[in-house]
Amino acid sequence: MLRIRNVHKNYGDVRALSGVDLEVDSGNIVALLGPNGAGKTTLVSIVAGLRKPDQGQLWIDGTETTDRPQLAQRQIGFAPQEVGIYPTMSVRDNLRFFGELNGLRRQRLRTRIAEVAEAFSLTDLLDRKGRNLSGGEARRLHTAMIVLHSPPLLLLDEPTAGVDVQTRNQLLHLIRSLAEEGSAVVYSTHYLHEVEELEASTVAILVSGGIAASGSIPHLIGALGGASVDLRFSGAPPELDLPEGTIPVGADTLRVPAEDSPAITAASLLQSLDGAGSQLREVKLRQPSLESVFLAVTSDLISGDGAP
Amino acid sequence: MSSRRIAAIAKRDLKALRTDFFPVMLLIVMPFVLMPFLQPAFKLALTVEGLHEATGAEQVIPGMAVTFGFFLVGNVSLGFYREHGWNTWERLRASRAETSEILIGKMVAPLLQAVAQFVLLFGLGGFLMGLHVKGSLLALCAVAAAFALFLVTTGLAVTALCRSFIQANAVVNIGTLLLAGFAGALVPYTLLPGWAQDISPVVPSYWAMQGYKHAIIGEGASVIEPILFLLGFALLSAVIASWRFRLDDTKVGFQ
Repeated sequence: MLRIRNVHKNYGDVRALSGVDLEVDSGNIVALLGPNGAGKTTLVSIVAGLRKPDQGQLWIDGTETTDRPQLAQRQIGFAPQEVGIYPTMSVRDNLRFFGELNGLRRQRLRTRIAEVAEAFSLTDLLDRKGRNLSGGEARRLHTAMIVLHSPPLLLLDEPTAGVDVQTRNQLLHLIRSLAEEGSAVVYSTHYLHEVEELEASTVAILVSGGIAASGSIPHLIGALGGASVDLRFSGAPPELDLPEGTIPVGADTLRVPAEDSPAITAASLLQSLDGAGSQLREVKLRQPSLESVFLAVTSDLISGDGAP
Repeated sequence: MSSRRIAAIAKRDLKALRTDFFPVMLLIVMPFVLMPFLQPAFKLALTVEGLHEATGAEQVIPGMAVTFGFFLVGNVSLGFYREHGWNTWERLRASRAETSEILIGKMVAPLLQAVAQFVLLFGLGGFLMGLHVKGSLLALCAVAAAFALFLVTTGLAVTALCRSFIQANAVVNIGTLLLAGFAGALVPYTLLPGWAQDISPVVPSYWAMQGYKHAIIGEGASVIEPILFLLGFALLSAVIASWRFRLDDTKVGFQ
């Protein structure tokens, strides 16, 4: 559905994207992860046709859209990061307006407004003005506006920012449903647990404008998400002979990589502490996870130990 | 280009105007408040020019149309800055609406405002102030149309040049007073100092006033020249707008 090849984008001297490649098939969710300023929003904006890449190519549903954003815009539903609704119009009018802009008319438009309002729990709010919605309701409307015309490609830029747990769960459930119905979804977020809850088929971790790692969640965890043991001491960690790859975390903790299971490593570490054991306050076993993948990838690249 | 999408955008902007109608009301009511104050001075000036049957309405109504017409420049800008303030600008751009459809759609509401203002000022105002159009009503409408076109293109240019609504608002407010002053819309042109009269012809509002005056008073004076000048200024504004308008500019709007 979406193919991105070697996309570069600079803002003046600032490199926003450098050689990004990505593919999203129909029915799949691709999660874009990355620290602030990694280039997630720029990438999504380029796919949405709001910005042109300096270099590279994009295809949506087999049609090259790099220099013809209007072709892209027929295929996409784009929800930007900031909630964008018309506060002076009712929920129904907000939905109707974007439905009309995207080619829906008369009975079809009325039917879709009813269906989408039902799906996003907006039915009872249809006559309420946008300015009178709660944060969560406004976020649901913001997202509902992009699915009215059933676009085959959905672009969601941090869609759960600032919403309560219920709204977040509801949005994630709806996005999963849309993917199951065949939509291709690009989901940009900071929240790693959402990516796991969404069961994203591919995770792409962006760092400094480049995709530092990508693949399925099990693949990434298997390849990069090593287990570890955290040792927290009563003060600064004492001098110890610990395995290679041990890193300080905060002022009082050491993170020791676990080559076997973290429990076996912890047992071995406790035996080797000797006198320093009296300063030990906590031992935490860290299983391999998407978070450990993310931290491994981003800490290496941010500190300059790796290449994007 | 889709007329349905243009209509949808225009309808949305008209709804926004209806929801927040007070500023529109002010632009309609204020000229009627000011006209009685200014009419005697304009009557005197026209009498000095030899138009002994003049009521002053021949100049005070066009004067108000020109002065308050300029505030529509701000309304054009407002239509864009509001989208930025509401975070809907990027959504609009990412929809199927083409750039030309968005721009044209956003011109409709200010143009309709200009028409409403013109009809009320010259219709109701003319009735109340005793305006008699001795020239051509058609010519009067043609001048109004050219002036309205100038106003909306200038609104686009101001939006393109100003980064925030506060900047645009300042430009419009100061510009309105200056241009109305030089045009003889607030003080009769014949009472302006010589240096101001020398500058007037480079000011678009001067040509709007001249056009209205020729259409109302008649006496053989053509409105072609004022209309051509107004269209020329509209073209200049359109060129500036197309040169500087960037869809992906970050504008500071307001909620």
